[in-house]
Amino acid sequence: MIVARRETWVARGLLIALMAVTIVPFVSLFTTALHESGTYPDGISWPSDPHWENFLDAFRVAHMGELLWSSTLIVLGVVPVSLLIGTMAGFAIGHLRMWGSRLLFLLFVLGLTLPFEGIITPLYYQMRDFGLLNTRWAIILPLIGLFMPFAVFWMRAHFVNMPDELSEAARMDGANTWQLFWRIHVPLALPAISSLAILLFLWTWNQFLLAIVLVDDPAKRTMAGALGAFQGQWGTDMPLLCAGSLLILTPTLILFVVFQRRFVAALLQGSLKG
Amino acid sequence: MLGRVRTRWRPAMLTIAALAGSVAVVACGGPGSSSSETSSSTQSSTTASAQAPTCGTEPVTLRAYFETGFPLAGALAEEFSKQFPNVEWDIREDQFAVLTQNAPRVLADDPPDLMRLPQVSELVKDGLLKNLDGYAKAFGWDQWPASQLSQMRLGEGGRPRGEGSLYAMGLNFSMTGIFYNKELAEKIGMTEPPQTLAELDELLAKAKAAGIVPIQQFNGGATGGLAFPLQNLMAAYGPPGPINDWIFQKPGATIDTPTNLKAAEHLAEWIEKGYFVKDANAIDYAKMMSRFIDGEGLLIFDGDWESGTLDKQMPGKAGFFLMPPAEEGGARAAMSAPLTYGIAERAENADCAAFFLNWVATDETARRITVEVGGSHPMGPADAYMPPVKEGSVTAATLAAGATIAEDNGAMDFIANATGSIYAKGWTPNLQKMVAGEQTPKGLLETVQRQYESELED
Amino acid sequence: MAGSVRDAIVDLTEARPEASARRRARSARRSAGLRTPAWVGWLFVAPALLVYLVFVLRPLVATFEYSLYRWNGIGPSTWVGLDNYREVFTDPELLKTITNAFELIVFFSVIPVLLGLAIASVIRRIATSRLALVGRTVLFLPQVIPLVAAGIAWSWMLADDGFVNQVLRWVGLDGAARAWLGDFSTALPAVGAIGAWVLLGLVTLLLLSGMSKIDPVLYEAARMDGAGPLREFFHVTLPSLRQEIGVCVTVTVIAALASFDIVYVSTQGGPGNATMVPGLEIYYQAFSERRIGVASALAVVLMVLVLAFVLPIQWLTRRGER
Repeated sequence: MIVARRETWVARGLLIALMAVTIVPFVSLFTTALHESGTYPDGISWPSDPHWENFLDAFRVAHMGELLWSSTLIVLGVVPVSLLIGTMAGFAIGHLRMWGSRLLFLLFVLGLTLPFEGIITPLYYQMRDFGLLNTRWAIILPLIGLFMPFAVFWMRAHFVNMPDELSEAARMDGANTWQLFWRIHVPLALPAISSLAILLFLWTWNQFLLAIVLVDDPAKRTMAGALGAFQGQWGTDMPLLCAGSLLILTPTLILFVVFQRRFVAALLQGSLKG
Repeated sequence: MLGRVRTRWRPAMLTIAALAGSVAVVACGGPGSSSSETSSSTQSSTTASAQAPTCGTEPVTLRAYFETGFPLAGALAEEFSKQFPNVEWDIREDQFAVLTQNAPRVLADDPPDLMRLPQVSELVKDGLLKNLDGYAKAFGWDQWPASQLSQMRLGEGGRPRGEGSLYAMGLNFSMTGIFYNKELAEKIGMTEPPQTLAELDELLAKAKAAGIVPIQQFNGGATGGLAFPLQNLMAAYGPPGPINDWIFQKPGATIDTPTNLKAAEHLAEWIEKGYFVKDANAIDYAKMMSRFIDGEGLLIFDGDWESGTLDKQMPGKAGFFLMPPAEEGGARAAMSAPLTYGIAERAENADCAAFFLNWVATDETARRITVEVGGSHPMGPADAYMPPVKEGSVTAATLAAGATIAEDNGAMDFIANATGSIYAKGWTPNLQKMVAGEQTPKGLLETVQRQYESELED
Repeated sequence: MAGSVRDAIVDLTEARPEASARRRARSARRSAGLRTPAWVGWLFVAPALLVYLVFVLRPLVATFEYSLYRWNGIGPSTWVGLDNYREVFTDPELLKTITNAFELIVFFSVIPVLLGLAIASVIRRIATSRLALVGRTVLFLPQVIPLVAAGIAWSWMLADDGFVNQVLRWVGLDGAARAWLGDFSTALPAVGAIGAWVLLGLVTLLLLSGMSKIDPVLYEAARMDGAGPLREFFHVTLPSLRQEIGVCVTVTVIAALASFDIVYVSTQGGPGNATMVPGLEIYYQAFSERRIGVASALAVVLMVLVLAFVLPIQWLTRRGER
């Protein structure tokens, strides 16, 4: 390919500029977090005496340990179940293709563009009637439901490409449908399932609306919901707020950096298929 | 292609039919139960025993929802736990705007025992707050000066205020006015507080000329702090009675009166002359305090809940005076109201919460904390213990002002508290527009009055 | 929609040439089925269907229902027919939320996509370099953090003494410095800028990955015809990116219309009504003002709006694909 040298340098410059713009807010959070609690520093400025203890204070004040635990519980409640039943449904609709599967698929696709605000009000009263308000179940159960359209869509897309011969062969060996599913198709679907897991994990961890409407106690919310509560309580102390925000960001950031290739691939594919 | 269309549409039609069917089924009756949620709110709160309730000896956890940035409630809670070790606190805090937003929902579905509630009319109408008459009788609150409790009394259905059953209590009653920076005041030659509105105008002009920010007032976010100077001006131009009537939702009350119009125009003048800090619409309460404490700004319109903080962080450098009247020698008025707290109708530990409220007003240490940390006058009997206050401190000034206001009978509630959302939907957006030059004084009063009337209709 | 979606999935899979063969085989086999009785298939779908029905479809229907009543969430409700909808379309405050959402589409959607196209086409040349690999990780950061965190970080940067004004003052543009989120005229664009920051990285990378799928032979051919970079862009790059552009626009438009997190944490809809968006207004109407009927009507209008944008976009960018 004919590539001019100058174009390469322009490209590099542009990419670096874009990366800088992306990183600047994080830098701003970081430098502000080091200033004395209760003050308002001027823009991005390195403090003369960095208050590293702000991070410890934020950790303590926000009960970060509890928040991590709560978010983890919610993720454990949402993601495995969603993966399982989404894969089962995708398998049925995409591979078994029984009578009515087209109708079912349409039904799920209906929910793909649904904004959560569309159903948050009745959801609140529903959770209240079930007596689940202010518990983690109030976030877990609706989220599983809300993830179904995408999960079914995603897994169906995978199963549609599984050749029927594979299943026919297994049948002839005497496998029933469950064995067919669990022993043969699920192992083959692992790449798709793991990408889906990453997406669902991210969307659960960062879920805000459901958390602040359905759960009052920050210790029972997701990390993002807890950040909302943190801002409500400490929002006027900017350095503390910045420190707390950074701490709350850190778990996902670490996971992202470690698994970056999987994340990036999943996010790209997820958007394309969605 | 046509064949595909037909088969593609069939599932769609089936789906629509199914959904329509379920709508029909569900729609056979509107949402909402007609009874169980709201118990009768006129029921008295204590049972047959005339004995005053206590927190008992069993471990109790009091759930409270307080306002961020006001250390008084937390300090009192701590002291209470020291004196009554079986009581633990589970305190949640949020900023003013979020607190008011969350109030209806939280009281109905996740009721705390004690909650900071700036505005209670709608909550009483919906039966969400406990009627405190029983406690008032048991603890003897109705023996206190009547004016202390009148603002927290509401009639049937939440209107009007000023009379009826007691639905909220205060930890103290606040006094508002103008705090000034003594050092900056010296620079412009202010030797004593202005005695008339005209003198105040002069001071502001001098400050502006000297390059000092005359009024560092917050007006940003969800809280339009210009309501304070506006109401002070209203009281400077006219009597406080009609203003209180409007706040108390007395039938026929209006905020759009000739004297209030003069007040709003005076405020607009101040805005035009640049007396308010340039980014008023962007700063919130905490920012204003932070700047004033740092010495940026001659005056702020605020209340004595900050006296304690100011005495600690700007000792000797802050002063206080009441808003001067328009005419020389006129009566003074100021916003003076309890910072109100309510007990949820379905609170688990209502008795203990009521006991706490009584303790705050009667216990010596509690009263001391109220004055030192809260900077204002505790509730309670007229002859109750008053801790000594340092001479020349801001706290002393605000407490003394209380006596003046009591004499002139000039206590008003806050116009922000007229209805549940008059502040968020009426005053704040329109005051912000006025600062931005997009709203006129007449328009301000008319729009707010319209909003007020439509809320009362609902 | 199902048909085009299925086609799209087929096209997205790796083994493109075999797709048509597979499709033929599949349709032949459909009548024979996999010899699985239908009820087994339904059993597999049942759990997902159940959760979906209970926690999504039932509330969805309930939203429609609530929108026809006047209810405060506690007591009984009264039937008001279409009054709530009338209010949504005549109350200037409520209408403003909708126009604000449209304005946000410009910032969340139009700007990132245009910028993304420009940037990606320039970066394309170094798409495999090490810098680009690092770039990919960095550009995804805004998508990984909660929107709330982005809102908090940017609220601080856009404050009167925040970084943005710091830079403006550095370069001598003192006059332009202001409290961006507190000023009536700049608040909504400022919120838009936050959204643009969140979405730009994703959009650029999506377009970049689409560009890298374009056969280089097409570019060689264009060069040989004497086309410069601009002609190359419009005649080769753009047409091949149709689907990716469709996805970018869909994702960003939905983000704009349904925005909640960012506005909640940065301006709460203020100053005045300047940044109020439908999502936030629904929340206030339902949970703070206790006007469930109006909130639900607005929610229905929002959902219809989303479909009104997304369906044409999908149809435009998926139609005519193999």
